[in-house]
Amino acid sequence: MSQAEATPSTEQKWEPRILTFCCNWCSYAGADGAGTARMQYAPNARVIRVMCSGRINPMFIIKGFLAGADIVMMLGCHFGDCHYLKGNYACNARMTLLKAYLPAIGINPERLYWDQISASEAVRFKETMNMIVKKARELGPIANELDMPAHGARQNKTAQATVEDIW
Amino acid sequence: MFYGKATDQATLERGECGGAVTAILTSALEQNLVDGALVIKKGESIYDGFPFFATTKEEIAEASGSLHCAPTLSAKVIKNYLNGARDTRIAVTCKPCDARAIIEMAKRNQINLDNVYMVGVNCAGTMPPVPAREMIRQFYEIDPDDVVKEEIAKGKLIVQTKDGEHKEVSVDTLEKAGYGRRKNCQRCEFNIPRMADVACGNWGVIGPDAGKATFIEVRTDKGQKLLDTATSSGALTLTNALPEGVALREKLDGIMIKMARKFKAAQFAKFDGDDKFKKLFAELDRCILCRNCIINCPICYCEECFTKKDYVMPQGALPPEPMFHLTRLMHIGPSCVDCGQCEDGCPAEIPIATITHMVQTDVEKALGYVPGRSMEDPFPLSYWLEVQE
Repeated sequence: MSQAEATPSTEQKWEPRILTFCCNWCSYAGADGAGTARMQYAPNARVIRVMCSGRINPMFIIKGFLAGADIVMMLGCHFGDCHYLKGNYACNARMTLLKAYLPAIGINPERLYWDQISASEAVRFKETMNMIVKKARELGPIANELDMPAHGARQNKTAQATVEDIW
Repeated sequence: MFYGKATDQATLERGECGGAVTAILTSALEQNLVDGALVIKKGESIYDGFPFFATTKEEIAEASGSLHCAPTLSAKVIKNYLNGARDTRIAVTCKPCDARAIIEMAKRNQINLDNVYMVGVNCAGTMPPVPAREMIRQFYEIDPDDVVKEEIAKGKLIVQTKDGEHKEVSVDTLEKAGYGRRKNCQRCEFNIPRMADVACGNWGVIGPDAGKATFIEVRTDKGQKLLDTATSSGALTLTNALPEGVALREKLDGIMIKMARKFKAAQFAKFDGDDKFKKLFAELDRCILCRNCIINCPICYCEECFTKKDYVMPQGALPPEPMFHLTRLMHIGPSCVDCGQCEDGCPAEIPIATITHMVQTDVEKALGYVPGRSMEDPFPLSYWLEVQE
């Protein structure tokens, strides 16, 4: 994380920024496992821990894109493993709707990634992360798709939030 | 499917084609099936149609006849002023978009559908009142106030003046000049209100009754009840529809749908391409955050609006953050019935209805959910949750 922040992110030297929502009970523990096992993976992800993947309002993901995330990842428990019994089903339903909605507003649906990673799948977490960073490089900066400068909030005459506030 | 005719002579004359809708509403009120009827009433002139809750026979009679310059939406009226039909039984005359909006609102528990009897009427489009006056002056070369009746038939807009003179201009000509039907009506693929309880209209009436009877199709049990009430009280006479008439009605519907698809493609083409987001916001950035689109939308119903939260978008910034529009599109996009109320209310003249309908079309292509078609179509989110469990 600190390594990523130290990297100057200008238009010349673009580094993908991955916004990752992790469910507290499975995926976050998986990420934790990858960390304690000292696995090496791409440092581009910013992880936000949520109590359940069912907590995610689709608009959080849209907000992530507008704030300059090149890929938004949603990681939750496997079906049947949800700590709250059916939170990940709700998440799955929302992600399916969102996948249909994103192209309608001109955002590539490939930029949304939804997967299930359990607490014991640290290796899978590492592999997913590397795969996503590779994909982000292929897709290019989201600024090309949205009307905004690289890694910045969309230019707005009176908008208060700037890129420094967000990242 | 039947041809219906009112038995009452006055209703026959006042009504559009046989006065069947007026007869159905009147008998439903008289037989205490409903407490009142939500109808569109003529105001000062034929360019002035407004929703009106009629509770007596005379009031219903006053509202008979069709109006094309009434870009109204009955669904939101039921919710805002009739308490969502929770304690009143209402018969409502609806265009297909009204009926679809009522069904979508019923799915969201905003309207109690058990108390609503939907009397659908065919609609080939409505016109904005003020440009319509201008159009009459320019294309028909008559004083707009002299017009006593207008009718859309066979692709032509026919007006009748006080002196009994008929003048017609093709709708295509009018629309090429920027007049004619509203943009959303041009795109509309729902001309026959098959989602209502009874679908009435003048399409498909042939033979001796042509122009003098109303085509009635019963769609639900409630519709059958309405029709039974009207026939048993002797207000309405029915004859079976001719099979050729039924085929003609289908054919006309097909022609209108084809035309609508052409308009749809032409209007959406403006936003197509790789930089769709930029193209959308080139229009949406004119927004002055008056929230008229939210107030008028039949699908928007939250008591506490998501876009009024500080963490969603900075409040008071103009033009609003893209989150405002994207939230609106996400919340109502999959269910947009393309009633055009948002676009009518927009002071910045943003083509919001076009954009929302475009999102709806895309989502429909991906998920197959047709908004407002039937109460049996479950909303995708809740349906998936049930299926997965």
